[in-house]
Amino acid sequence: MAQALAAAALGQGAFPEPVSGVTLYHYLFVSAALFALGVIGFVTRRNLIIMFLCTELMFQAAGLALIAFSRYHLHHTGSAFVIFVLTVAAAEAAMALALVVLLFRRRQTLDGTQWRQLRG
Amino acid sequence: MLLWLILIPLIGAGLVPVVAKPYVRTVAYAATAGPLALALYILGSYSFAAGAPEALTRVARWAPDLGLTLRLSMDGVSAALVALTAFLGPLCVLGSKTAVTERVRTFYGWFLVLQAAMTGVFLARDVVLFYVFFEFTLVPMFILIALFGSANRRAASVKFFLYTFTGSVLSLAGLLSLAWYHAAVLPPGSTPNAGTWSLALSDLALAGRAMPANLQGWVFLALMAGFAVKVPLFPLHTWLPLAHTEAPTVGSVVLAGVLLKLGTYAIYTLVIPLVPDAAVAFAPAVGVLSVLGILAAGLMCWVQTDVKRLVAYSSVAHLGFCMLGMFAFNRSGLQGSLLYMINHGLSTPALFFCIGMIYERYHTRSMDELGGLGSRMPAWSSFMVFFTMASVGLPGLNGFVGEFLTVKGAFEAGALPGHDGPRGGMTGGVLGPWFAAWAVAGMIVAAVYLLYMLGRVVWGTYHAPSEHGGPHAAPHSASHGQAHGHGHGHGPDEPAGGAHTGLPTDLSGREVRVLVPLAALCLLLGVYPAPLLNMFADSVDTTASLMQGALRRAEQVRPEAPEAGAAAQPQSAGAGDGAAGSGAEVDAGEGEGVEGRR
Amino acid sequence: MLATMGLITGTAAGGAALAAAPGAEALAGAGGVAGVSVSAHGAPLAVLAIALLPLLGAALCALTAPLRLGGKLPAWITVGGLAAAFGLTVLMHSGVSGLAAGEALVAHGYEWIAFQSGAGPGDRFVAPFGFYLDSLTSLWMLFVTGLGCLIALYASEYMEHDVGLGYARFFVAFNLFVFSMACLVMADNLLLLFLGWEGVGLCSYLLIGYFYKKPEAVAAAKKAFIVNRVGDFGLLLGILTIFGVFGTVEYAALFPKLAAGRDALGEPLAAWVGWVVPLLLVCGAFGKSAQLFFYVWLPDAMEGPTPVSALIHAATMVTAGVYLIARMFPAFTLDEQQWVLGLVAASGAVTALWSATIAMAQHDIKRIMGYSTISQLGYMFAGLGVLTTTGAAFHVFTHAFFKATLFLCCGAVMHGFAGQLDLRRLSGVWWVKGWGIIGAAMLVGCLNLAGFPFTAGFFSKDTILAQAFVTPGAAWVGWVLLLTAGLTAYYTFRVFFRVFVGPVEYHPGQDDHGHQGDDGHAHSSQHGHAGGHGHASGQFHPHAPRWAINSVVGALAVLSIAAAATYFVYPQEHGWVGKMVGHSTAAFAAPGEHHSGAHADPHSDAHSTDLRSNGAAHAAALGTFLGFDPHAVMYYVSALVGAVGIGVAYLLHGAGRRTAATAGADGLLRNPLVALVHRGAHRKWYVDEVYHALITLPLWVLGHVLHLVDRLLVDGLVNAVGAAPKLTGGRLRVQQSGVLNGYAVAMAGGIALVVLLVVFMTN
Repeated sequence: MAQALAAAALGQGAFPEPVSGVTLYHYLFVSAALFALGVIGFVTRRNLIIMFLCTELMFQAAGLALIAFSRYHLHHTGSAFVIFVLTVAAAEAAMALALVVLLFRRRQTLDGTQWRQLRG
Repeated sequence: MLLWLILIPLIGAGLVPVVAKPYVRTVAYAATAGPLALALYILGSYSFAAGAPEALTRVARWAPDLGLTLRLSMDGVSAALVALTAFLGPLCVLGSKTAVTERVRTFYGWFLVLQAAMTGVFLARDVVLFYVFFEFTLVPMFILIALFGSANRRAASVKFFLYTFTGSVLSLAGLLSLAWYHAAVLPPGSTPNAGTWSLALSDLALAGRAMPANLQGWVFLALMAGFAVKVPLFPLHTWLPLAHTEAPTVGSVVLAGVLLKLGTYAIYTLVIPLVPDAAVAFAPAVGVLSVLGILAAGLMCWVQTDVKRLVAYSSVAHLGFCMLGMFAFNRSGLQGSLLYMINHGLSTPALFFCIGMIYERYHTRSMDELGGLGSRMPAWSSFMVFFTMASVGLPGLNGFVGEFLTVKGAFEAGALPGHDGPRGGMTGGVLGPWFAAWAVAGMIVAAVYLLYMLGRVVWGTYHAPSEHGGPHAAPHSASHGQAHGHGHGHGPDEPAGGAHTGLPTDLSGREVRVLVPLAALCLLLGVYPAPLLNMFADSVDTTASLMQGALRRAEQVRPEAPEAGAAAQPQSAGAGDGAAGSGAEVDAGEGEGVEGRR
Repeated sequence: MLATMGLITGTAAGGAALAAAPGAEALAGAGGVAGVSVSAHGAPLAVLAIALLPLLGAALCALTAPLRLGGKLPAWITVGGLAAAFGLTVLMHSGVSGLAAGEALVAHGYEWIAFQSGAGPGDRFVAPFGFYLDSLTSLWMLFVTGLGCLIALYASEYMEHDVGLGYARFFVAFNLFVFSMACLVMADNLLLLFLGWEGVGLCSYLLIGYFYKKPEAVAAAKKAFIVNRVGDFGLLLGILTIFGVFGTVEYAALFPKLAAGRDALGEPLAAWVGWVVPLLLVCGAFGKSAQLFFYVWLPDAMEGPTPVSALIHAATMVTAGVYLIARMFPAFTLDEQQWVLGLVAASGAVTALWSATIAMAQHDIKRIMGYSTISQLGYMFAGLGVLTTTGAAFHVFTHAFFKATLFLCCGAVMHGFAGQLDLRRLSGVWWVKGWGIIGAAMLVGCLNLAGFPFTAGFFSKDTILAQAFVTPGAAWVGWVLLLTAGLTAYYTFRVFFRVFVGPVEYHPGQDDHGHQGDDGHAHSSQHGHAGGHGHASGQFHPHAPRWAINSVVGALAVLSIAAAATYFVYPQEHGWVGKMVGHSTAAFAAPGEHHSGAHADPHSDAHSTDLRSNGAAHAAALGTFLGFDPHAVMYYVSALVGAVGIGVAYLLHGAGRRTAATAGADGLLRNPLVALVHRGAHRKWYVDEVYHALITLPLWVLGHVLHLVDRLLVDGLVNAVGAAPKLTGGRLRVQQSGVLNGYAVAMAGGIALVVLLVVFMTN
């Protein structure tokens, strides 16, 4: 899906020389694959740590796409942004893992379905 | 100076949480006495005979991109209402000394915020600023009812908030649509600021008057949706008895004294000047609802057993007079209506204070349980009779002047047979003698229910509930005063007998000091209303001439009623070009606005 | 004070010297009909003190309560203030009596309610606090302040059981009443009149409910106020209509327009004005003066202390309706047909008869006096209706004195016999030691009320009766009134023969009226009656009235005889009262009044040329009494009727009576038909019950229904609107499973959906 979009937007062979042969599409494909894996993992798994890792996977997928575009446009905003995202993701990972530990202490399990207090 | 009127209570509200507890009340006194002194200074040193004094207008940029300005101004009408608000402030602080003993900071903090917000409404001359203040009164009031009310406070506060809020969101939509019309539809140049995004009242008024009639109608309905709930106009009143009954004394005082006036004031300053033609078109409907309110609410008062609820319903009836006078659109009616706002803001709060005083002693408001206080509390009874008479509309006390003028306005806003058009005392309009007749019938009903109340509470043989509070919990038993504390029963009720309140059998000196200023003003305005009438004169004059123009336009647009048309014919024929002009006017459409023929 | 006196008389004389204002004359001339020309001159502000002194008195009396100034101080304040007011009134009278007919003095206090009421420069609504002084005002004020002062003195002794807060409360309301009455009578505009009108209503409310622990008193007070308010409905609408048509409520501007028959723009009046305005005013007058349909409050008002009944509910307040009609008489004669006056006459006559029948069957002597007041008010209204304002005012004047006497005598009995008012439980009071003055005064009062020859009541009643026969079409009114005169004589002397003469026998009342209020036990300690006035009749000693009561009652009795003398002082103008009325706006030479043989004189004829054309037209076809000139024969006829009434009363209640409880009349009641009528009359013809069933109950039920509708339907709708989001939310909440993965699926699906949509929409 993302490819189709990218194709529509970019047109043909505008990628700079040094990495010839590897086009933007390749990067985007990897990014999309990573993202899809993350989504599937998040939806299907119950282990909180795995689910959390899957969200990290999705983050990285987005980061990869950003960097690819950044390189493609020769514009550093994307790269800078990714650095921000990484920083925030690191902090967030620390907090999230701490939360997971706390949750584990409460129920002695990492099963996400155990926490359903918000059921309507 | 105007800003200080709002800021002093706000600063007070900021100080209340931080000062030591014994000084909370002192801060509250200072923060309410300050605006009062300021208001008195303004009343003393400025004349409102020629509109808002230049010195009392303040415009500051707020968010220019959005067209928002901090536009404050004070004309005679807002001066009187601000003074009323400021006047009630210290009395409320004084009157709540024994009633509020727990969570004092919360109470006075929010009370001061409420004072500031109400003052802001009366001063704002920018519709969004107005709306912000208008809505912001809800929050403190909600908290005062929800935390300090009596048994059913939770439902009352939620209903109060949601009902009035729902209505006023529609009002905001109405105001914004006017602003949109002013910015996007009006051809630039047709009014001074047309085509620019402005929220100033003066700009929007010109825009509203240029709107086509059907659009004006929708805007009118949207605006009224919010303001009529606040007034409250008859079928939209059901939140009021509940809120009044459950609110703490000070809450009821402010609610009846000032909050209800926000509605009528908004109608006077926003609805009527912004969409005059629609106001004329809907005036008969509003008149009918007002009269219905006067009569129906009056009859409902008569069957109440809860004395506070009775007074609450009486407010509905009283505000009916206020609305009736306003929609008469003539000077008598408008003067009466404005006067009525002030007068109702004195006598009804006084009644609520009186009722609060017995509630503190006996912890009941039921007239079945409590009565015959005349022998037990002669001083209290004297005040009660006095304020009831003010409320009945006894000439010589304040209530009468407003009531008479509103009824007079309604009477004159019509035609007498054989006396077509404005003539003699008649000004012409869409109400008329029949509306006045029914309203006067409402005055009979007022006597019925208020004397019924006196007969049960003041006269008769003394009877009161046993000393230890029965099913009625202490109103602000703060140990479990949270709203949810209600759910798990009352637990060990603290004894609520009068013995524990430390109050004397009859009024204490402090309570007398609360009531005497109110009584003095009631009497003064009853025998000498001239200062207020003069203050209102300029504003009333402007509104009345605007509305007479709107009435004339309506007369020409409306398909002529058979007999009225026949009667009008000879007169306009005499004017010659007048008849021709009227035809042209109809063709030219409704949008022409202020052409000022004649 | 001396300077003030000089000022009043001096300026008034100066005013009198002036001719009528040219403006008023011109207007009257332009109208084409020569009405009473009205003009007004300035008057010194000192007359305002007549009203303000009682107001000051009220304030001072009110102050005695929190200051704990005990004793009878409030009474002395009141008596002093009212005496001063009376003095000022006498001075005012001497000033006003120098005015020519139709002239008036205006004392302008300040503008009470005044504002720009229209766009034009002259469109101003002004209701000043100012006084309009002419002879009618002065007539009324003389007996209001005079009687007020005397009755306050009486009350100082009568109310002594309540010395303390109750005493202060009584005199505050008393003073306030005189103030309101002064405003009502002296007002120079209709709105100030309305202030007084409602003010006397309030004082009446407060004083009827004085014994507020008695449920009947509270109910009676409420009833009085509300019934009066119903009347005020008409009055207020009348005022509004008058302003609507004439553009003013001030007498000085209004009367010239009324006289000329022109509205605010100087155009002729529409026809409906001639009957709508009077009808609305009459509605107010009927309420205040307890006429037909409105009278129900007055008998109940007897729950109040007796001085109040004497002053408010007999002498002054209830005559306010007569005053209103007399004051606004030009409005009543606007219409050619004057059918509103016909209505007034009819209702007056019917009221007179109706309440006289009720009075005949009551046992409570104070109630009998109450019904008799209604009946006499009926006479006054009939007098107004048959166009003799003079007769009506004269009857008001004489009635004020003799009815006050009667009430005060009843009050003395009530005071002395511990609240006993039942004529079956009292007898021979006159013969009890110390009751001589009361007995004699009662006799004087009864003779007056019965219309015994050469009493004041005789002359005033005759004036009305005779005029009723003279005025065409009103003869039936005359017959009804004549019948009523007989009944009046009967029930009056029924009281006299049963209570004041006959064998001495008395039982104390159950109702210890003095023990109400704040120092309830003062009574027994003060009079040293062991056990107070309990039920032990064996030890009961009535306490005879002391000097205050005796002197006041004596003075009033003398005055009510002396009032007859005023009939002879200005014979060409039908007596002193006639002169007073004739010089005011109430002036209206009744048809045929100048035919009165004894008083025919050129001046009267000259006066009648001022008559409206209709009056002159009627003069051609004057009625007669069985072929005689009514004015000539009525003296004999009514004397005869009165004597018959007294004789019947003597036969049934006086002759051969051995005990208090039985009388010759008891034999009559064994006749079933008489018993039936008696029971109907005794139960007041069930009017209260009918009113309750027809008005009170439906409204009360309507109130409940409305309250239900309000709670269930109106508030129900509101709650339904509130419940709608709650219901919707309840349905939708099942979507929230609480499983994290589920949310993720929904989110991913949602995003996918949005992306798909975007793609499809852009392509």
